[in-house]
Amino acid sequence: MPIVLKVEHVSRSFGRQKILVDASFTMSTGQLIGITGENGSGKSTLLKIITGILKPDSGRIKRPTSMGYCPQEVLLFGQLTVLEHFKCWAKGYGMTPTHWQESMELLLQQFQFEQHLHKLVEQLSGGTKQKLNLALALLHQPDLLVLDEPYNGFDWETYLRFWNHAEAIVAGGQSILVVSHFINDQQRFDHILHLQNGLLS
Amino acid sequence: MKWKRIWSITEITLVQLIRRRITLVLLLVIPSLFFWVVDFTTSTRITPFKLATVSEETYIEVPARDESLIFIGVAAVGFLASFLGLNLVQKNAEVHRRMVLTGYRSWEIFIALFTVLFFTVGLLALYIGAALHLFFTPQNLVGTLLGIFSAGMVYGSYGILSGVLIRGELEGMLLIVLLANIDAGWLQNPLFYDGAQHQEFIRYLPAWFPSQATLTAAFTSHPFVKSLGLSALYGLGLLLVGLLLYIYKMRIFK
Repeated sequence: MPIVLKVEHVSRSFGRQKILVDASFTMSTGQLIGITGENGSGKSTLLKIITGILKPDSGRIKRPTSMGYCPQEVLLFGQLTVLEHFKCWAKGYGMTPTHWQESMELLLQQFQFEQHLHKLVEQLSGGTKQKLNLALALLHQPDLLVLDEPYNGFDWETYLRFWNHAEAIVAGGQSILVVSHFINDQQRFDHILHLQNGLLS
Repeated sequence: MKWKRIWSITEITLVQLIRRRITLVLLLVIPSLFFWVVDFTTSTRITPFKLATVSEETYIEVPARDESLIFIGVAAVGFLASFLGLNLVQKNAEVHRRMVLTGYRSWEIFIALFTVLFFTVGLLALYIGAALHLFFTPQNLVGTLLGIFSAGMVYGSYGILSGVLIRGELEGMLLIVLLANIDAGWLQNPLFYDGAQHQEFIRYLPAWFPSQATLTAAFTSHPFVKSLGLSALYGLGLLLVGLLLYIYKMRIFK
């Protein structure tokens, strides 16, 4: 299988605190990999390095050109509607109107929030905001999805819908790297990377 | 394509600003309130003052109330534009960063934020000019409006720069209050400047050229274009530093 992501000997410190130590792994097309670890173990730092938000102190990353990133915290504009978010993100991804509208319809149905399309984000519940936060990362069907605890605030049904969707897109050849705290998620992963004291195992 | 993306960010930023109705109301109420207080409290006796960019010898004699109205107009637009500039950069900084990950360039976002500031300050200057006109008629109304606009742009650029430099909302506001209060709200008053020590210090501050342009246009028939040009250069300088720092802070490591 072709390699979609290659992380080689990546280290990162904040001040004197070593957050990541010599982390290496590869990811192939169509793989679903989970990252586990305690709070503060460096999971989010690793994802931020993979997406390019943070620079590693040492090491190399080989990424695909098309990536989607769902951050842990909801990063949305409070005074824009759901539709305006999709439109704005689609322009950034360089999608055609037909393409993004089709993809948006699918995501709205999949996560069941089409009734909120014209509502401002500040009027949405926490769970619906999180649905949009995730859907924006999925919109352009990237080669690699990097998801940092993407189902925070989801109800059980939406959580299961997320996994159905994830399995479908992995079957379609996309790859997913996801941070998870749930033990019952672990059977879904092709591989599990465990972070402890900055060391990846 | 790039212009489409810049327009897209400009559009969503404007839409968000328009949806913040209380902010818009305050933008209109604050200058009116300032003018009302000046009109209510300042005497109409003739107060002579000198304008450094006109002549060091010639005294301009106008009612104290008119001079104060112009001075307060410049100060009000300076305060409001700087807070707006700060807010545009700070409020959604993390979301803007996320947009950079989707494919937007950081400079495109910066230009869009500046465009919103430009239009808002333009409208604010027009509004302040119209409000001023209710109290007295400046000698050169267009020049006075341009002077007020330039004060807004210089201080708006300072607000943007503060927003890029400082993450915390309160810290940013304090940085603005520190300079805007001392400069636009105090030292640039020609009544103070006339007898001030170390006048060269006052001439280096951001509101110097806009204040001189506005007062010159409002009360004299002297040319004010040079002051306007230097105001634009001052604002551009602040903006350029802001842009470079913004690009640096929003960079993605690929």
